[in-house]
Amino acid sequence: MASWQPLGLGGSVAERPPLDEAFLPGEGGGDPWEGGGEQGPGERADRAGRADLAAYRRARRRARTRRVGTGAAGIVSIAVAWQIAATICKDPVFLPSVTQTARTFLHYLDRPYPAQGSPLWYDALVSLRRILIGFAIGVAAGVTVGSAMSASRVVRHLIDPVIEVFRPLPPLAFIPLFIIWFGIGELPKEVLIVIGVVPIMAVTTVAALDEVPEDLRLCARTLGASRRYTMLHVQIRSALPGILTGMRISMAAAWTSIVAAELIAATSGLGYLIQQAGDYLDTALVLSGIITIAILGLTLDACLRGLLVLADPSRRG
Amino acid sequence: MIDSVGKTFRRGGRRTVALAGVSLAVQAGELVCLLGPSGCGKSTLLRIVAGALERDEGTVTVGGRTVSGPSPARGMLFQTPMLFPWLTTRKNMLFGPKAQRSAGLDERDDPELDAEADAILRTVGLAKFGDAFPHELSGGMQHRAAFARAIITRPSLLLMDEPFGALDAITRVRMHDFLLSMWDQYRTTIIFVTHDIEEAVLLGDRVAVMGGRPPGIQEVIDIPLGRPRHALDADTEAFLVAKRRIRASLTV
Repeated sequence: MASWQPLGLGGSVAERPPLDEAFLPGEGGGDPWEGGGEQGPGERADRAGRADLAAYRRARRRARTRRVGTGAAGIVSIAVAWQIAATICKDPVFLPSVTQTARTFLHYLDRPYPAQGSPLWYDALVSLRRILIGFAIGVAAGVTVGSAMSASRVVRHLIDPVIEVFRPLPPLAFIPLFIIWFGIGELPKEVLIVIGVVPIMAVTTVAALDEVPEDLRLCARTLGASRRYTMLHVQIRSALPGILTGMRISMAAAWTSIVAAELIAATSGLGYLIQQAGDYLDTALVLSGIITIAILGLTLDACLRGLLVLADPSRRG
Repeated sequence: MIDSVGKTFRRGGRRTVALAGVSLAVQAGELVCLLGPSGCGKSTLLRIVAGALERDEGTVTVGGRTVSGPSPARGMLFQTPMLFPWLTTRKNMLFGPKAQRSAGLDERDDPELDAEADAILRTVGLAKFGDAFPHELSGGMQHRAAFARAIITRPSLLLMDEPFGALDAITRVRMHDFLLSMWDQYRTTIIFVTHDIEEAVLLGDRVAVMGGRPPGIQEVIDIPLGRPRHALDADTEAFLVAKRRIRASLTV
């Protein structure tokens, strides 16, 4: 019955009579439909001055800087405790001090250590390469499987039990099998990472896509978006933060797999380095290898977290 | 125009009649409330009008056209604002026009859209919050942003599904004033679903009371309050009379 009429929206917004003065948000008065007692998440914005969004964001940024400062203090206090323990213990084989470890780390960073003949950066690069290849393939496959499961009930019922069987298995149990199948080259390590990453990514992708409210899609459709546009710009976009969180979890799992594989069957990589250094009782070098893993892991996680912040503005600040 | 619409849900061999023989004619520019308890089929009816649910019987025509799927001519507002959390208020508003443009349906260009977005942002009192993300807005502000996003696509009909049901009582009164003021300005036809008698009386030109077995429209009651209305009109005698009338109709 209702039909579109030139109800003041026909491109004549400027011609419409202005709202009652009392309704117009004045500079000091805030806005007419909000009192001071507004409850809800926006109250933070209101308190920091609803007239000044920038000030609110500055305040949140300051809070984040404080948080980072506190976090750094935690790490520093661990280092201090370690240094004190090493000083009391006086046995560099049992526990080298922070300074000894740092010296070893810097020394072998670009100098080959006696047992193996390659410097620290080389082993770090080898491990990083394995991680990135396995992770990329695993994420691509996992997201694809997850999307298919979310889109089709049949696919979901088909793949769900397979994942449920694989998910609780520690990837490390497959190492001997992969050595039999693929030898001790690069392939078994990458396959190991892939089988660790795929189930995690599939499960988190399904959860992220399922979580997109039906009404959000309907909302996009009533705003004039086609099915395809809604799929790409709403459903997948909306699931992105969940998928990125899955990637962070997968990345940690990938490091576990690769280091374990390198400890058992490898001739390069950080796991191999730690193994070798342990055999020669070079504890400072063992710790250097562990610290390298920590640095690489933190860096990769920071990259993913950066993407997550880009994808989900509510995590900013 | 809703003509003898019926809907039956089937689940595991059990059939539930959600709506039977519902007819309702809504005039252009009218604000009609669908009022009823939970499970009376009011949301189902609204979704059928939106084109999100298929009807089993009857026809729904809007502006002479039969409804066959979601369309920007029929905007919808939900109980939660359903803003896209990764977009600012302004970009949320531009989502509809841009999505339509990608399909060649909206011919407004960027400067024109920006100007219109600015004007609407001012009208809904969010001029300073065009660049804010939804999580930075209060509940009431989010609903106003959702309204702004729906209105920029120039719908001839706005479907509102208990849009203020999740707000606290004070914010809710403010949103009533907001909606009345917006409706005065844009004169868009609105079908408003609610289970709150006072809300229905305050907002509606007419209130369609729903209920019964199988569910349908029991009675359509005219609200004799003048326009423009204001939340304070809830204190008038005419308001109380209308409210009593509806309560009687609900308890039958």
